[in-house]
Amino acid sequence: MISEENVLELTSILFAILIFPGFGFLFVCALGFQWIDRWVVAHLQGRIGPPWFQPLADFIKLMAKEDMLPIGAHERACALLPMVSLAAVLTVALYVPVGGHVVGAFEGDLIVVLVLLSLPAVAYFLAGWLSASVFSVVGGSRALLQYFAYEVPFLMALSGPAILSGSWSISRIAALQSQTVWMVLVQPVGFLLAFVGLIGKLKRSPFDIPKAKSEIGAGPLTEFSGRKLALWHLSLHTKTVVGIFLLVDVFLGGSGGSPTIWGALTFGAKSLLILLALSVAGVLYARLRIDQLTHVGWRVLAPLALLQILFVIWIGA
Amino acid sequence: MSRMTIPIGPQHPALKEPVSFLLTVEGERIVESALRIGYVHRGLERILQNRNYVQNVHVAERVCGICSHAHTTAYCQGVEALLGLDVSPRALYLRTLLCELERIHSHLLWVGVLAEHIGFTTIFMYAWRDREIALDIMEELSGGRVAHAVNVIGGVRIDVSQAQVHAILARLDELERQIGTFLDVIRHERTFQARTRGVGHLSAEQVRRYCVVGPVARASGVDVDMRRDAPYAAYDRLSFQVITADEGDVWARAMVRALETVESLHMCRQLLIGLPDGAPSLFKKGHSDGAPSLFKKGHSDGALAARAPRRVPPGEAVSRCEAPRGELIYYIRSDGSDRPARIKIRTPTLTTLMTLPDQLRDIHTADVPAVLAGVDLCIACADR
Amino acid sequence: MSRPSSLAYLLPELVRTLLARRVTVSFPFEPLEQPVYFRGKVIVQSELCRGCGLCVRDCPAFALELEREGGGRFQLVHYRDRCAYCGQCADSCPQGAIALVSEFVPPTPRRETLTQVIVERDAGG
Repeated sequence: MISEENVLELTSILFAILIFPGFGFLFVCALGFQWIDRWVVAHLQGRIGPPWFQPLADFIKLMAKEDMLPIGAHERACALLPMVSLAAVLTVALYVPVGGHVVGAFEGDLIVVLVLLSLPAVAYFLAGWLSASVFSVVGGSRALLQYFAYEVPFLMALSGPAILSGSWSISRIAALQSQTVWMVLVQPVGFLLAFVGLIGKLKRSPFDIPKAKSEIGAGPLTEFSGRKLALWHLSLHTKTVVGIFLLVDVFLGGSGGSPTIWGALTFGAKSLLILLALSVAGVLYARLRIDQLTHVGWRVLAPLALLQILFVIWIGA
Repeated sequence: MSRMTIPIGPQHPALKEPVSFLLTVEGERIVESALRIGYVHRGLERILQNRNYVQNVHVAERVCGICSHAHTTAYCQGVEALLGLDVSPRALYLRTLLCELERIHSHLLWVGVLAEHIGFTTIFMYAWRDREIALDIMEELSGGRVAHAVNVIGGVRIDVSQAQVHAILARLDELERQIGTFLDVIRHERTFQARTRGVGHLSAEQVRRYCVVGPVARASGVDVDMRRDAPYAAYDRLSFQVITADEGDVWARAMVRALETVESLHMCRQLLIGLPDGAPSLFKKGHSDGAPSLFKKGHSDGALAARAPRRVPPGEAVSRCEAPRGELIYYIRSDGSDRPARIKIRTPTLTTLMTLPDQLRDIHTADVPAVLAGVDLCIACADR
Repeated sequence: MSRPSSLAYLLPELVRTLLARRVTVSFPFEPLEQPVYFRGKVIVQSELCRGCGLCVRDCPAFALELEREGGGRFQLVHYRDRCAYCGQCADSCPQGAIALVSEFVPPTPRRETLTQVIVERDAGG
């Protein structure tokens, strides 16, 4: 028997998944964050940047363009890969609290989130491999090398707060910080490593090696166009949003414990702060070479992450 | 590991102009490369034979966009030598002023392009923003940002007033401050150095073997500069330093070009402050108090005097000039008519193109744009 | 004035750029004004033109054509689509009849509008 409470619950779950804090909200945030990033980068470089509707216009334009792949590319797989990437990112969004609201949370969802967040990287590499172009193959192999370089420090850095709070649920970690202290104050090195790992994950400058424009065209996505490319870009920008929210929840205390307007505003302010830091970091440096990145990743970041984990275990005991 | 062939060009984001490199790579290392040029061959040397000497000034300008003034300077010098004309000092100073301004604008463009190719978009934006200062000065002097059309056979067709001189000097001060930023970045910024040091090394012996000229040669320790070794225009009246470096890699070329830009700034100041009086052209009255007289013919300076003779007596002339990329040679043979019998142009990029297979061997794929940017290719010059 | 190397070397320069004026503008939907020394449209003072043809001989782009019909009648045609706006015709004219004003000649899909008869001289001119 379907009771009234069931219907209400169903509607609220559907609202949470589709509107807020789900797909609709993420779509708006993806476009909004992209615009803010481009605006900040432009002003730092002395330009005025695009108007506010530019990301939306780009998305609509790409959806309307002709969609073709070269002969020899795996048509079916190349059509599925952007959808897989987008689906993975949207699934992650179900478990990352936004301003205190979350669709579903359970013990261990941090691990699920981290696993799901690596799916887009695999899809990216496969896209390069399967789209039958020299540039995309080179870009794909670079993407995989880069993935190994930043993923290990990133995972270890995000495990630190989990170990310290004694819980593997993101919502719990975020909630606990409002009672104790922000994780960034206890483990600043971990926050820095997670931040650098996020830059690598999002393939932003200075780690935009797989899609190095001046070297290999557009890397793995060189041969994609039209709707597939629109979905790829959307998944990348949604991953930006979700990654920033994850960092805010795990290190900066989420919404400060209150799912009210005040909590939402603080959450928004913290997210914008991290976005600003990402933009500035992108503007400050030249692009590294892939061997330099693996050097930095394995010789600097990974040992630091290890030290951070040991430190966390020591003070937790 | 299996080998792949990566085509860089003829259309590629790393190239300003179409040229084709077929790189054979093994993993991320390049094994060998094959070079193909000729995509922008326009047959300009033949075109130059089909037009008379006056028309050819403008055709020579369009050999290349960035070094257009160097081409017209070399051409006009050659024809003036054949005609036996002595150009007035003021004209020589103005010609040299445009030469140095063009060098500044070309090197700033190059810094931006190198930065963009190594992923440093911020420096690209800053360099092209500061290049606008030089372009605005050139536009105010000549009427065009890139196509100056300043040289005529017998002198220049522009003039500059005292008020303009002061305004330009102020802007040059501003430009010098901005160039200081690029020098600092090249010297100290770690990621820039990580991408450019040790990349694309050329030894002095290789430079001599391939007859490389220009900043690429000077960055490998070979001390050649036409402005000092075979002075033309007003260079014998200027004091300047020739910048060399020893490392021979892309970083050394960046240092050489940045310091050359500063030297060019000093030279522009010397030229503006020491501008002699007189006519800017052998065949035109000068006036040092009005705007460029280009469009006020028949109004402010009366009727034009006779122009340079149309028919050039038979002879040969070799005219050399230091374009922003190196030594530019014009060989002009005349047969007594009003059209040249043969004009041969040897551009500096031709020499640096020959070194590229050597530079592109055994490097990372990611270093290819840095190497290509480091030699500052001007394919339009090379293909003519 | 050279700062020693650091991890965020460009940061002071970024701040300086933020405080300075921006160098780009939004797309200008109204026509721009050209500086006074810009080499633009070619105009001729018809009464000064003698029909000597020096401008035609010296144009590097063959953008000027002189059609002499005998008896002192001639037509000087200027092809704006071929013109390179170099100003050589203005230099070569011994009468000083040609000038380049700072008016920009915009592109147009109707090529025939770019061919202009700039001097038309009937008999006795």
